[in-house]
Amino acid sequence: MSYVTIDQVTKGYNHQVVLENISLTLKKGEFATLLGQSGCGKSTLLRSIAGLEDVNEGSIFIDGKDITHLSPRNREVGMVFQSYALFPNMTVFENIAYGLKMKKAKDIKSRVTRMIELVDLIGKEQSYPHQLSGGQQQRVALSRALVMEPKVLLLDEPLSALDAKIRKNLQKELKRIQKELDITTIFVTHDQEEAMTMSDRIFVMNKGKIVQSGSPTEIYTSPVNTFVAKFIGNYNVLSIDVFRKLVQSTEIDGNEVAIRPEVLQLVAAGENHLDLQANWDIKGTIKDVSMTGNVLRYEVETEESAFLVDDLHHQGKMLEQGAQVHILVPKKECIMLAN
Amino acid sequence: MKSSLAFHKVIVGLLVIYLIIPLVGTFLFSMAGKWDHTILPESYTVKWYIELFQDERFYRALQHTLFLIVVTVGLSVVIMLPTIFIITVYFGKWEKWLQAASMLPYGIPPIVGAVGLIKVYSDGPIQIAGTPWILVGAYFITILPFMYQGIRNSLRTVNAIQLVDAAELLGATKFQAFRTVVFPNIISGILVSTLLSVALLFSEFAFANLLVGGRFETIQIYLADKLNKSGHLTSAIVITYYSIILLLTGTVLKLTFRKENAPSLLKG
Repeated sequence: MSYVTIDQVTKGYNHQVVLENISLTLKKGEFATLLGQSGCGKSTLLRSIAGLEDVNEGSIFIDGKDITHLSPRNREVGMVFQSYALFPNMTVFENIAYGLKMKKAKDIKSRVTRMIELVDLIGKEQSYPHQLSGGQQQRVALSRALVMEPKVLLLDEPLSALDAKIRKNLQKELKRIQKELDITTIFVTHDQEEAMTMSDRIFVMNKGKIVQSGSPTEIYTSPVNTFVAKFIGNYNVLSIDVFRKLVQSTEIDGNEVAIRPEVLQLVAAGENHLDLQANWDIKGTIKDVSMTGNVLRYEVETEESAFLVDDLHHQGKMLEQGAQVHILVPKKECIMLAN
Repeated sequence: MKSSLAFHKVIVGLLVIYLIIPLVGTFLFSMAGKWDHTILPESYTVKWYIELFQDERFYRALQHTLFLIVVTVGLSVVIMLPTIFIITVYFGKWEKWLQAASMLPYGIPPIVGAVGLIKVYSDGPIQIAGTPWILVGAYFITILPFMYQGIRNSLRTVNAIQLVDAAELLGATKFQAFRTVVFPNIISGILVSTLLSVALLFSEFAFANLLVGGRFETIQIYLADKLNKSGHLTSAIVITYYSIILLLTGTVLKLTFRKENAPSLLKG
């Protein structure tokens, strides 16, 4: 039984289509991510669910109720904005209590206190937002939304303004809180790594459409087209003609071939025992090596095309720029793309 | 590091001197008895102030000016605040029209404006030429650019659109969102615009003289009248109204920024 249903939602501004026939369903408690580059429509979709944007066509249901034309305050959704949008004139406590006050709820104090404990902000109740760090502000924004016990939590790139370390911590914490409260969450991001670590399900968007949906593993290991392959994991994408020439084989079909950089193996020229049963062998020259810490990234030039090859960073195993190498391409790791 | 700080101090010092000398000069002149060929006055007196404070016309002029200012600025805040808020938050594409309209006063010299206003309002359905109400109207337009810029900039600084979005998602109505979230955060911006407008209107002469003149004497018209009689007395008038503005501004600022932790645009 689906908890959130988006049914053929379409939206455009002045003849420009922003969302094209978007349909998706989510189960209760699911953590879903809308992933895409800026301008792909992911934020607009999120704002449409919140009621901050009107849709031209289609409907949105939450818990069986059609909310397409309800005002934001009646939708029972919570949202966290990229820039937090905390109320600068109110303390942390007042910020979190705001929604409850508007609803004239009872036991405001105990509910806010519980929330402050949950997000680990004890001692900061009387601080104003400008006295908090970015990470703390984000926690306030999160608890302000959660205290209302919304049916769906919407997160619009909530971590992108934070530095890497705090970001990693908050990712974990967000996931912990989401699990603890079992709250259906829709998360928007342009960072594929963030999407991978956090989501139960990812919806990859491009130009106002959902191009692929699935679990992080599905999306990563079986991209359906070139866009997803390139966006999600630095795939090497080659046209079928180029690939056939390189491997001198015609036993492959499709339109394009996608190969992840980390499945490729580099062997220095001159080594003999290559497993040519399971691999194809392509000869090349190392054009560039870069080191991202734990990973060495090689750019290898071949007759027809350049390849990215990722290798774990082992002491003393680094190949030099200009070295002649074999690229071993595991046959079963080659993904044929139809378009 | 130290020498560059000293350099900054010198520049700021020079600027302060440049701004303050005319005031000090005016003040000294208003207190001077005999002052012909010395740097500082040869003798001091408060007789110009006594003369001024005993003049009933001065009080009436001051009263007129304050009345005009309170009515105009009050009206402007009441009308422009919701207008600018609604346009900025809900009708963004109309903003350029509002901006253009609010800049118009810069394009029309007061003389031209005044002649036009007299023509329009001396007959027809609204005959208010020669009354203070035509001044209220003209002043409303005069301070429009300040009010518009000030309020719009405050709205942008606090990111009013997003604050309203956030408040609405938390269950507030549009009006509640404005009252509880937007207004408290832009009050200092409104105040700055208001004070600018008050200062501007205090020293407005052209419209007052052309549209109403002696029939509703404002402080500037009184000043111009006295200018022909005694320079000392006019200096005393100028110092007095500067003091009034200073007192007014100081009080308002103090009242607003009393709370130590309250965020404000001035504190940044």
